[in-house]
Amino acid sequence: MKRILPFIIILAVLGIALVSAWYFTRSMPVSTTAAGSQQPQPQGSSAPQAAAQNPPVVSKGVPGAEPAHVLGPANAPARLEEFGDFECPPCGMFHPILVEMHKEFGDKLQITFREYPLVPTHQHALAAASAAEAAGMQGKFWEMHDLLYERQKDWKTQFDVRPVFEGYAKEIGLDVERYNRDVASDAVAQRIFLDGKRGHSLGVTGTPTVFVNGREVPFQSLPADQLRVILQREIEKK
Amino acid sequence: MAIGNRQSAMYAAAALLSVLGLADAIYLTIEHVTGQSVRCTIIAGCSEVLSSSYAVVAGIPLALIGAAAYFGVFSLSTLAAFGYRWAATLLTPLTVAMFVVSLWLIYLQAFVIRAFCQFCLFSAAITFCLLVVVLLSHGLHRSQKSV
Repeated sequence: MKRILPFIIILAVLGIALVSAWYFTRSMPVSTTAAGSQQPQPQGSSAPQAAAQNPPVVSKGVPGAEPAHVLGPANAPARLEEFGDFECPPCGMFHPILVEMHKEFGDKLQITFREYPLVPTHQHALAAASAAEAAGMQGKFWEMHDLLYERQKDWKTQFDVRPVFEGYAKEIGLDVERYNRDVASDAVAQRIFLDGKRGHSLGVTGTPTVFVNGREVPFQSLPADQLRVILQREIEKK
Repeated sequence: MAIGNRQSAMYAAAALLSVLGLADAIYLTIEHVTGQSVRCTIIAGCSEVLSSSYAVVAGIPLALIGAAAYFGVFSLSTLAAFGYRWAATLLTPLTVAMFVVSLWLIYLQAFVIRAFCQFCLFSAAITFCLLVVVLLSHGLHRSQKSV
């Protein structure tokens, strides 16, 4: 017995390791939901597919900054809310996907952007969020939003990003004097705080975090082909 | 020469340490496979490290290779604790190799990626402890031989 005991122990640990890996791989998309609640997933489908077909329900959370930055009509059948950080590379990669979805679905899709700067993970995230919000004070939030994502690689390695963002403000035609006042204002700080508070209330821990009609979309369902399926399904429901 | 009681205890300790390393590596593998590691999170460092090009070797997640290595250490140290001398002989070069790789990964985090992932650092700490335990067992064996 003593000769085979170590082999039994080794096989037992291997079995436990494989079963745990399988279990947690399946449950990972569900475990990242805001409300922690889950809906039954269809039998026999893979986890990402199941998550795409039936995203977990989330609670409404506290309100964010008002008025929110919104693209598309309020009565759109698919309402997408993104919590983003302008310095986060995956958010930068998600940006062209959202642009594509906006073009593709038009008035059937409403997109809301919420500030979720990951401080102190990203040193310029708060400055970028402030720049976007200050641009929003002059009605040009989306123009600054697009520039910040498109040129993320140019500014994220800079030591001082303020002159870079001021340059962007000039480029999109902002009143720079007002922009400089607004960027350091309490109103801008308050908007970022309120969006963050909403994110916290929904259990957001990372970026990008996306909700479609109040349901969190698992991160692995954010590629264009999978997100398209989710949005299409929501549109067909209405 | 047979493996003594003190050596068996040390190999058992190595087996326990490798289980911790295995759990850590499995967690990182799951993060990688499910795409969670690619997201930016409030905890700094991990997403930068785990989404870097160094996190994958020939299409295989480095964390999965780490899990296999820890399982190898666990198997060999368990067999060594039960008196299999050949397992003890194989354990030393495997642990040394893992330690060298850990040093390389710490270098990458510090000077190339410029971000530290606490789970990777935990793995490096486990590897260092394993190296100490395995080398002590090795030394114990040599001293027993010379007596």
